This record gives sequence, C-alpha cells and structure tokens, in this order.
Amino acid sequence: MSSEPIERRVSYIADRLRGSQCTICGKKYFKIRDYCGSCGRKSFGKMREIDFFYQKGVLEVCTVIRGATNKFRMLEPFIYGIVSFDGVMVPGRLTDYIVEDEFDPTKFEGREVVARFRRRYSVLPQEIIPTSSLTFTFTDEYYPYMEYNKNDPEEYSNKPGIVSYGVYTSRFRIREGRMERSVPFLDEDAITAAVEAGKIALIHAAIDSKYIKKIYVGSESNPYAVKPIASKVAQVLELGEHAGDGVRAVDAIDTEFACKAATSMFKDAAALSKYASEEGEDFFAMVIGTDNSQSAPRWAPGGELDFFVGFGAAAFIIGNRDVIAEIEGWYSCTSDTPDFWRRDGQRYPMHGGRFTGEPAYFKHVIKAAEGLMNKMNLKPSDIDYFIPHQPNVRFPLKAARRLGFKDEQCLPGLKVAKFGNTYSGSSPVGLAAVLDIAKPYEKILLVSYGSGAGSDAYLITVTPKITEKRSRTEKFNIQWQAENPYLTYVDYNLYRKFKEGI
Amino acid sequence: MTNKPIIIGVGRTSFGEHYGENPEELIEEAGLKALEKAGIERKDLDAVFISDYFLQVTNKIGIEEGFVSELLEVSIPMETLRSFSSALCCACNAIEAGRFDIVLVGGVEKMTDRLDKIRDDLMMLGDPWSYHAGGTPEAFHELMLREYVKTYHLNGEEVEKLMKALAYISCKNHYYGSTNPLAHFYKRKIRVEDAIKTRKRSGRILGLYDFAPISDGASAAIVVSPRKAREIAEKGLRVIGRGSATDYISYFARNYKAGFNATRKAVERALNEAKIPPEKIELIELYDQSTLMELIALEDLGLCKPGTAWQIIHESYQKEDYTYHINGNTLYVNTNGGLKADGNPMGATGGAQIHEAYIQLLGEAGNRQIKFKNNNPYALTMELEGFGTKSYVYILGRWENEL
Repeated sequence: MSSEPIERRVSYIADRLRGSQCTICGKKYFKIRDYCGSCGRKSFGKMREIDFFYQKGVLEVCTVIRGATNKFRMLEPFIYGIVSFDGVMVPGRLTDYIVEDEFDPTKFEGREVVARFRRRYSVLPQEIIPTSSLTFTFTDEYYPYMEYNKNDPEEYSNKPGIVSYGVYTSRFRIREGRMERSVPFLDEDAITAAVEAGKIALIHAAIDSKYIKKIYVGSESNPYAVKPIASKVAQVLELGEHAGDGVRAVDAIDTEFACKAATSMFKDAAALSKYASEEGEDFFAMVIGTDNSQSAPRWAPGGELDFFVGFGAAAFIIGNRDVIAEIEGWYSCTSDTPDFWRRDGQRYPMHGGRFTGEPAYFKHVIKAAEGLMNKMNLKPSDIDYFIPHQPNVRFPLKAARRLGFKDEQCLPGLKVAKFGNTYSGSSPVGLAAVLDIAKPYEKILLVSYGSGAGSDAYLITVTPKITEKRSRTEKFNIQWQAENPYLTYVDYNLYRKFKEGI
Repeated sequence: MTNKPIIIGVGRTSFGEHYGENPEELIEEAGLKALEKAGIERKDLDAVFISDYFLQVTNKIGIEEGFVSELLEVSIPMETLRSFSSALCCACNAIEAGRFDIVLVGGVEKMTDRLDKIRDDLMMLGDPWSYHAGGTPEAFHELMLREYVKTYHLNGEEVEKLMKALAYISCKNHYYGSTNPLAHFYKRKIRVEDAIKTRKRSGRILGLYDFAPISDGASAAIVVSPRKAREIAEKGLRVIGRGSATDYISYFARNYKAGFNATRKAVERALNEAKIPPEKIELIELYDQSTLMELIALEDLGLCKPGTAWQIIHESYQKEDYTYHINGNTLYVNTNGGLKADGNPMGATGGAQIHEAYIQLLGEAGNRQIKFKNNNPYALTMELEGFGTKSYVYILGRWENEL
C-alpha cells in the first residue's frame, strides 16, 4: 500500500516542480526550503517560491532504463537523465518516446526539454494515482516550448466570452483507413490531458493563473469514481489566489454528461463572470473537456466504439476581459434517451448501435441548433462556422446539411478524422480549430451532444483581440497537432496497451 | 600513534546465495571465526558493533543486537550501524576514547531473501526524487559515466577505450575472485569480450558484468586497544589512519558529478592521520559496486589525476597483468575479487575488505599471496554508503607484538 501523506507531499512538489530561491545570494533549489543552505540562519523568511513548470531545461546526461524498479516496469524501456533548469538539477524520465534497440546517449544530451505532467508509475487499482512532472519531452519535437507571461487582464468587453483556449492531443496516432485517432502514451489519462490543455490555455491567455476562480472539468473517463480531476488541475496550474498551506481560493468541480459535460458549463462560466463583474470582481473560469475516450476492445461487447475513440482535452478560459470571442446566446435541450451508458464498476461503456443516430444525435443536435437560430433570429447563411459534436465524420456533415449548412461551414471545425472522438473534448476541439483560423466578427455556431441525451448550442462572435493572442500558442495549434512530422503511429495492439495505460 | 586500534582477528563466510541460513547464523559463523583467529572468548568482549543495511526489510529483523546477545549469551553494549566501515569507525572511536578494550565488529546481509524487491530497496540508498523519476540503482552509475565523458571531453575513440577499460576491471576482479574460495564467483573467470557482449545484448550502457551481484554473507573483526593487544595478541593490523566524509543524498544536486567529493575528503583525512608516503600503499580494497566505481575511486583516492584513470587501466589491460602501474609503482586493487566477484552483501562488504587486507599484509593469503615490494607495506580500504553519499577510508599497517 502506498502512503497517502507521502504521496500528497511528493506530488505537491513534483507535479509543479516547485523550488525555492534565496533572495540574499540568489541560489535556487529544487523543493521548497525555509532557508538557504549557503546563507544559513539569516535567510529564514527570505526564500522565494519558484517553479520550473513553464520553463525549458536542458537534458544534461542520460541513460536508458531496461530493468526498471518494480512500479516502472510497464514503462520500460525508457530514457532517464538529469535535467538542468538554469542550473537547478532535477532527475527526469523522457516520455512520449519509444526507445529503439540501439541507444546512443549523445543523440539526446544537450537538447532542450520541457516538463510534462504525467502519471508517475503503476500502482494497485485501489491506490491513489501518483503523478509528477519529473517527466520531459524535447522542445524540438511534438510539444514545443511556449512562454507563459503572467500579466494582469486588460480591456473589458460588453459580453462575457472566451478569453483563451488550449487543446492538447498526444503525440501518438493510430491510422485506419482515412481516420487517424489520437492515442495516449502509457502515462497519460484524462487528468494529465486536462492539465496540459489548461496549461496551454493559460499560456494563450497570458494572465496570472490566480485570476481563474472557478474550474470545471467535464469528463466521462475520470480514472477515479470518487475524486475530482478539477482539484488536481487547480493545484498544478495554481488557479486562484494561494490561501496558505497549499490551499487555493478557487472553486473546482467535475461535471459529467457524456460528451457535453464541458460545453454545458460555458454558459455557467459566462453567467458567473457577468455576475462577478457587476459585483466589481475580476472573475475568470476555466472549462475543460477531457477524455481518454473509453471503449471496450473490438472483440468485446461495446467494442464497435473502438474504431472511433480518441484522446485529448480542450480548455477554455471564460471571462469578461480580453475576450477573443463573445458568447452571444445559448440554447440547450434534454431528453432521457439512453443511447450510451456505463454502469458503475464497469470498465467500458455500452452503445445503442444504430439507435444512436436518429433518435439521439440528430434529434438533439438539430433541435438545439434550430432553437438557438430561432432565438437569435439567424439563418445558416448568417453563420460562418458550424461546429457540431463529432463522433465520426458522417454524422456532423449530415446534421449540417439537414440544417441547411454547406460543408464548407462545417469542415474547418471537423477534426474527428485527425483525433478521433475525444468525447467531452469533441466539439470543443472543433471550436478551437475554428478559433485558430477565425477572423474578427465571424460568427460560430457550436452544438455539442451528450448521450443520455442533450445538446448545448452557442452562438459565438469573434473579436479583434483574437489575432494578437494567436502567436502565443501558434506553435502548438490544431494544425500542428493534426499534421505533425513527429507523430508516432502505432498498431492496434500497441494502441490497446497505451489506451489501458500503466 | 599509541592509541591506534589494532585488528587482531578477522572472519567471514563465503559470499553468494545462502538459501539455508538465517542472517543470525551467518553472522555467528563470521563472528566465531574472528574470535578464534583472535584467540579470545566471547566473555572477553566489551562491546559489539553490528552493521547491516536491509535486515529490517529483507528479514523483518528490527533489533539485530538482541540476536547477537542471545547467540553469545552476553549482555554487553551493542549498536547497529549501516556499513561495516561505519561500525568499525564507531569501534575505533570508542577504543581511542578509552571506553572499550575489546570490540567485535560484525556485518551481515541477506539480500537474496527478498530478491524480487531488492533493487527497489536499494533505491532507499539514494534520494526519493531519483526514484520517483524512474531511476534505478544502475542508472546512477550510468549517468556518472556520462558525466565523466562530458567533464573530460572524451572523444569517440577515447570512450571506446574507457569502455574496454571498464570491461577489463570486471575481468580483473573476476580473475582475482576465481582464486578466492570464499568469493561469490569462485572459479568463474570472464573475458573482456564477455563484459562488452552483455552490454550490447541488454542494450544498456553498462551491463551485467559491470555491476556487483546481489549477495548474502557476513564478516567480522576483533578490534582492540593497543594496551590490550600487547597483552593478548601476537600480530594484527594497526589502523594508522582513517577518515570519513558525507555528501548530498541527491547525486543530481551535487556540484561535482564526475567523482565523489566524499571520498576525496575522506582519503585526505586518512592520509593526514597516517603520515605515510602514499606510494607505500600497495594494496587497495575499494568499493567497485560497478566497474566505473573502481575507475572513479582511483581518481578520488588521489592515485592518479582526475580524468586519467581510464588510461592507466587501459594500459594494464594491454599488459593483462591484473595490476595497475602508477608512477612506476605497482598497485594491487581488489585482490579478493572486489564487490564484483567476491560479492556485495552490503553490511558485510567492508568486512571482506578488512579481511583481505589482514590476510595479505600478514602473509596469510596462501596461493594468492601478493609479493609486496616494501618491507613494511600498507593497505587502504575504501567503502561507500549510497552513491557516494558517505565514504570511509582506512589505512592499515602490520602490527607485531614487540614483547
């Protein structure tokens, strides 16, 4: 059995790579210290907290681990080494990397790396999932270094809306026919993807994370039945003000409604932001849709999903300052339509087969889209981009045509053929893809769908702010993630192994 | 000089796998041999210092002293420490302080009793972050090898020579081990090519033959005050100089990573105390947990310039005479087989080093007796705890009762 107090202390430091710096001599340490070893007693109270979470380091030396310690067995072989963050050394494991037979350390040493938040090692199913950011990837490969500037928010806008966004999909893909799907590495899950997406959204916003006062994480693949993902995201990304003792002044909540768990919260975030601004408070909320989309293996009941499931997360910061896309209106609908479900204690969801189309997906998506267009007095030609939930390529296009949209309005936000169905992140990833290319004043109709069943429709108008923020995360935009020279393709067996994780 | 402790008896078990014995039975065997050699009885003992690293986890033994008390049926003061050298250090301190006259130092380890978890346990000797990042006991050595190559800017050809030198260290220690009936790998010689081949086969920087094995075993020594030695003994080893030092637990956080600062400090202290010319040291028993550790130790002990040990070893490899030649002197290193071939039962390992120094300096090594050049040769032992976190150095010379 692992020790819960030890686990909490280790992950508090290692998830964020926290350290201390002496304000007298400037010496930096990995780990939080109350005083400086060189300056001694006089440095008490003069240590400053630092972290290396957004920094880039250099892999100084490395070796290959074959014959790992017991809990790391499933990850081997892997590359392990010492990383320097501006002179502060930390040990680390290279992740997102499949080691070939011949190992040549000189191919890796001296290269720049960034910390990645991942599962640390395997534990028994009843134990706490250990995490850490003592895990690295090279900045010159799939995941680039992006600078995080912690500024104060600036311009107010009339309506609340999207302040920034971030999408994370993994480096690994399975390609079958014309469909490519994002596959998690062994140490990834819905939690790690949520943190990654949130991190990118913060970089994109370039506001101090203390302004994020509410975090919603929508997922249907939380590895815990009881324990929020949002608390981990809030702690690692340091959302809200630090209230002392590692506690943060932030409201964190997980939501669940199949694939619309995240989109449903956009309106809540926007409403709260509006309310807070009337109270004179700076309020930003982060909404994340994250899923290691679940499916039984192909040979098992429910296995028909295994042709479509993806992996990824999309995060949106919603507020009323520095807004890049205003939320103009919304319309939601719900009925009790059990087209897809997973009973408690079951590993994989079940699926209603062909009944998931007409009485489920189409009925709700079309009702919500029509409902909003009627409410806002708009017709399809008034809208530049239509982004429906995308469980496959066929459904969204069919829904778009039925509503009177042209394929060109739908295709820019249709990313399922690149990443697979990312469940809670599905239509949000589409929205991010459109925001990557949208011009000021363009109108976007987003319609999510969650089995069970319901849809949320949003009308979003892009603002001129979008262009100035774009460069901050351009290196890791949807285009880069979808068509990337460093993508690693895996076969079905390796895909299943990666999907199940450590 | 007069209060320097004298080692008047040593004993050890064979090292290797001892399925049949409990740890207390191993230490009993080693202890009885040492008592016999010293020619004393259990009732003569004033105190016992025991060393082991892992009995708590491997054998669920919490208070080792109680077992020794029960075996010897004595109720004298006893303490448990980690390495044999640390126990010997405490024994010497107590004797020099005049507290005790006759002390038994005994070390034991029973690593094979927990074979499936012992490598995880070994990570306890490092920092927690290296473990949490995926480090292994071997990875420390491999990273240091990379640091060494980087620090001394070795080019491709030089690295190849270095890797051959390391393979030769293993081959040399196996050669010596093959002649030592108590060694884990008695009669098990290897070739340089074997060591290189196992690296290739496993796809790792250092291979099976570069690392000391997991062993069981026990060792013991009787340490007495010079006053008592003159009363009861004819000959022994005098601890003429000793030193120890401590370094950061986190290898990655150390400023100097191409060697061990702790050893540099420890040997400096030991040599200052011994006041002998270093070239009179002809036998060195050092802590070759990996072949790299032997190479690094030659530099840390000040026998050669930092960054040059691989050349000295490579020259020896070309001669294949199993000794190192430094500034015209011949140096015997790890003639018991070292940790590589004699075995590495952690808590008992330092005792095997003392045992080897004892039998070699006193001419009791039989057919593997070294022919020393000096009339009055000295031996040096160096033991580490953790990955260079602690280092103990002992300089030992012959002692004969002049009465």
